[in-house]
Amino acid sequence: MTDAYFDDENFKDGFDDDSFNTGMDLHLWRKLLSYALHYRKEVIILATCAFFTAVAEIAFPLITKGVIDTVAADGLDADLSQYAALYGAFTLLLGLSISGFIWYGGKIRTHVAHDIRMDGFCNLQRLSFSYYDFRPVGWLMARMTSDCERLSNILAWGMLDLVWGCTMMLGIAIAMLFMDLTLGLIVLSVLPVLAWVSLNFQHRILYSARIVRKTNSRITGTYNESIMGVQTSKAFVKEAENLKKFGGLTDQMHSASVINLVQAALYLPLVLTLGSVAIGLTLVFGGLEVVWGTITAGTLVAFLTYARHFFEPIEQLAQWFAEMQMAQASAERIMSLVMAEPEIKDSKEVIEAMKQDKTANAAIDGHVDQINRITFEDVSFSYDVGDPVLNNIDLDIHQGETLAIVGSTGGGKSTLVSLLCRFYEPTTGKISIDGVDYRNRSLHWLQSNLGIVLQSSHIFGGSIIDNIRYGNLNATDEDIFHASKRSGAHAFIEALEDGYQTSVGEGGSKLSAGQKQLISFARAILADPKILIMDEATSSIDTETEQQIQQGMDALLSGRIAVVIAHRLSTIRNADRILVIEHGKITEQGSHEELMVIQGRYYKLYIQQSLSEFVDEENYWRS
Amino acid sequence: MTEEVVNDRKKAQLLWTHTEGYRGAFGMAIFTMAIAYVFMFGAPLLAAFSIDAVRAGAEFSPAPSTTLIAQFFSGDDIPGMMAYLALAAAGTILLTAIAGGFLYLRGRYIAFASEGIVRRLRDRLFDHIEHLPSTFHDTADTGDLVQRCTSDMETIRVFLSGQVIEISRAFLMLIVVLPILFTLDTRMAWLSLTTLPLLIIAAIFFFQRVKKIFEAVDKAEAELTTVIQENLTGIRVVRAFARQEFETEKFAVKNKAFRDHNNRLIGLMGIYYGFSDIVCLGQIGLLLIVGGLWVMDATLTVGTLFAFLTYEGMIIWPIRHMGRVLTDSGKAIVSIGRLAEILSEPIESQNEVAPSNRLKGRITFRDVSFAYANPRILNNLSFTVEPGETLALLGPPGSGKSTIAQLLLRLYDYHNGSICLDDHELNTMNRKYVRSQISIVLQEPFLYSNTIEGNLKIGRLDATFEEIKQAAVDACIFDSIEKFPQGFDSQVGERGVTLSGGQRQRIALARALLKAPPILILDDALSAVDTDTESQILRALKNRRHHQTTIIVAHRLSTVMHADKILMLHDGEVIQRGNHESLSKVEGVYQRLCAIQGAIQDQIQHDIAEVRNHD
Repeated sequence: MTDAYFDDENFKDGFDDDSFNTGMDLHLWRKLLSYALHYRKEVIILATCAFFTAVAEIAFPLITKGVIDTVAADGLDADLSQYAALYGAFTLLLGLSISGFIWYGGKIRTHVAHDIRMDGFCNLQRLSFSYYDFRPVGWLMARMTSDCERLSNILAWGMLDLVWGCTMMLGIAIAMLFMDLTLGLIVLSVLPVLAWVSLNFQHRILYSARIVRKTNSRITGTYNESIMGVQTSKAFVKEAENLKKFGGLTDQMHSASVINLVQAALYLPLVLTLGSVAIGLTLVFGGLEVVWGTITAGTLVAFLTYARHFFEPIEQLAQWFAEMQMAQASAERIMSLVMAEPEIKDSKEVIEAMKQDKTANAAIDGHVDQINRITFEDVSFSYDVGDPVLNNIDLDIHQGETLAIVGSTGGGKSTLVSLLCRFYEPTTGKISIDGVDYRNRSLHWLQSNLGIVLQSSHIFGGSIIDNIRYGNLNATDEDIFHASKRSGAHAFIEALEDGYQTSVGEGGSKLSAGQKQLISFARAILADPKILIMDEATSSIDTETEQQIQQGMDALLSGRIAVVIAHRLSTIRNADRILVIEHGKITEQGSHEELMVIQGRYYKLYIQQSLSEFVDEENYWRS
Repeated sequence: MTEEVVNDRKKAQLLWTHTEGYRGAFGMAIFTMAIAYVFMFGAPLLAAFSIDAVRAGAEFSPAPSTTLIAQFFSGDDIPGMMAYLALAAAGTILLTAIAGGFLYLRGRYIAFASEGIVRRLRDRLFDHIEHLPSTFHDTADTGDLVQRCTSDMETIRVFLSGQVIEISRAFLMLIVVLPILFTLDTRMAWLSLTTLPLLIIAAIFFFQRVKKIFEAVDKAEAELTTVIQENLTGIRVVRAFARQEFETEKFAVKNKAFRDHNNRLIGLMGIYYGFSDIVCLGQIGLLLIVGGLWVMDATLTVGTLFAFLTYEGMIIWPIRHMGRVLTDSGKAIVSIGRLAEILSEPIESQNEVAPSNRLKGRITFRDVSFAYANPRILNNLSFTVEPGETLALLGPPGSGKSTIAQLLLRLYDYHNGSICLDDHELNTMNRKYVRSQISIVLQEPFLYSNTIEGNLKIGRLDATFEEIKQAAVDACIFDSIEKFPQGFDSQVGERGVTLSGGQRQRIALARALLKAPPILILDDALSAVDTDTESQILRALKNRRHHQTTIIVAHRLSTVMHADKILMLHDGEVIQRGNHESLSKVEGVYQRLCAIQGAIQDQIQHDIAEVRNHD
């Protein structure tokens, strides 16, 4: 819903966002670097290109020096052809190196981003729901998109600039010192000052850029909210007030951005002026040397050119260094995502078993491909934090049985079902399938035997038929029509202009809640699972439609294990067995009649429900 | 989003009107930049003169044998030359510093102007979107809209603060440097311009081609994002059907496509930059070699050659960069167009008169027909609700129940028939007034990411805490709120408390009650509330009964059976009307509903009786 545009900056997740003080975690970057080093050949070519680029850039002033000295010394007899040839050669070298480093740097960048994203996605498919419980979709999205791009950017281009910058500065320094030691040292003396200024400023600039980004993500969030909630804003005539709030935000954005831009505007002149100090020093001392004849005019020209170019890499390197520190939090988060181990996964034994040859009727993990009986033995469960949600549950469910679970909200109904699906595992106790602890069975096998219809059913963007087909990818169109007829969805789908090909919009936005529900029914029927789970699935269907799907539901529930969390009397009554769960415990179980006889909690719930639904309200409205 | 083409004139106009008040700042930015370049280009001249001076000086002084430092301190130098060079050095630093100062001013002006314009555009867009009609929002894709408001806005921001300056920078540099070059040496000046046209043409040609790939990359990225988003929001369904492999494959295709499109872009970029570098360096090489030859025959001094080489180095890279700048500007134009599309969508009419008094709450529909598109949702619908009465709407999904509520709120405009509130025709009343007279609670209510109190106050901003509490009590949500760690100050949404569907509905109800308007609409608003709580709520509503006209859309018979009037809708038509008493006696859908639920009821009575017999 509202979490689609969630930026990393927005979310306090325990990591230190302001990572200036934390220093660099080299271990982390080494891990990230291994993604780049996977492309060893490309990395070597990239480094070579960067190296040659720097070499060529160092060579040009030397060639210039050669030309000037030659013409100054030899006058009309000078032969410039070899310099022209040399110049041409280095021009070609530089051109090729530039192409090369863009190609290979770009290739590394896109491949690394691709690989990190792939690993992240695959891991997300494995991670347990407990991982999702504390991380909103938007947060995960930001990891998978902007963080990936940002880090691969640093890895590829940062590496390039590192090689290029170091080679260039080292080369220029050597060339200068070699031509004239003293003059070289004089130019180099500006270096520490410039490095200090650069580092300092890049920090500030990136820091204010971070504030800009944070504010920007709040603006994005506000836009998102205003669009999602436009009907509500209109209904409450909140347009002017919303605009005022939003105006406050854009004011903040304005001042933050201006600060950022002004900092950058201050930095450039400072670097230029400092650079000109180096040029001035060269002029004075170099000029005198020319007068004295210790160096040639060509050398002076070369020095002046070097002095101008020498400081370029510093700006770049300082920027990358600061960016790396800034991106530290991003790096940590994405690596934590890629490397997170699912709490629930196949054990080594199961993985081993899945590699073995199987007998004809065996499931992928070598056990019998049937589910006749599910047993809960003394199962307790608590989330990471907080009190136990379920306490000492003992339960037996048999093939063909429909089990209804009733009880107050928060009593543990949904948790029981999640444990059954192995979305979570019991904290203590065990759950077995046909006598085998389900932790010794393949997770994939169990979950591919599940069919689930949730209270708010998720519909994917795309066509209706694709959404139903999700239940069974191999289903023919006929199978799909059949399933949707049984669910009661067929009639309304047929009435749509494009029928089964109708596009449902993002998240099924073009369908009503009831229609979405019917489609998810059809999807579950098509899947024909051994275990069917329904979570208050009928709540948004009107009484008549509910009647329509009732027969379909009966057919769907029969012949398999069906567990229904329901508050509708019809569903409850038709169940083979009813569980009453209160405060994490099964307080009653049995058939409707049996439980009525006990006159316990169920009796009260049932009477209360039926009374409030049908009988004694008359007086509220008629008095 | 309508596929209306926004032409270039309109786009330019949109941007131009929003620059009002900032045009002077832009002018100043360009002016200060021009001054900066005048100073900056002075510096190489000083160096050039110095080189020539020292070369001339070198011919008179004997070759020394000692080192530079020794010479320096021996006082064996030529004082005039020393002073000359020191002056040149000081001049270089001073000129650069002054240029730097003006560059800084340029930065300030640009920041002020571009950020100011963008803030204005952001506010304008926000306001506009909030006033666009529901017909627009129904078909608009939220993601796309937000994308336009943020990414496209960012593109425009970068254009204003970066590309506008880049373009003028290249021109200004040429304007400032050309007179200097031609004064120094005409032949060299012409020579230094030879490859520039080639460079510019190549850049434009190349980036025209790249534009298409840019678009493909953007599209691939959007598709990739959608796949991830869908997977993550539907992760429970993915797991439930064990479709991880299917999803991973789907993702891998998009992930790879995005990568490969990017690589195509990079491939072309590599060719362009390699090629243009060779052209640029070739240009400098040409100056060096030909200039060297002219130095040989003494028609050119070494200092002038140095000046030309330095100037060429200063101007040629920004010119090469122009191709990129123009492409990005092209993107900015596309972005402006995308914003213009939103801004040119007509907003809801605003100018109808607003009666000053509170409505009594009579609602009259006369022969109202309505369709969003085809087919018709409402067909010749007529009914009246008197002030204080309760009307219940029943019917299968799509029968038009919610549409009636939306028409009443003027979220949509009807064109056939007549709807009156009291004696006013709905169409002639100001929308905001109409909405201020109606409260609506939806089945899936929207709550703002604010505190619970903040959300309730949406109903009435100046409500006292006592009133807020009372509304919460009436909506049966007070106890739940009190149980949250921060009570009424608890944050709603991702970083705050998690609310169940029923709690959300009840908060929305409390918010609507706080508003206390003459008309209250509950659009299937209690569906996620358990029946026990529901009856409490209905009891509380009953106490307000004479204060407001109430329309209830519901599925449960228990919710609607006590309404004064019941309309049974089917395909936009009333198939039955009356109240519970009359309708349950007539053969029809309502009676069937009663029968279905009555059968269960009988069963309960039977069960209860049976249980009692056991005792």
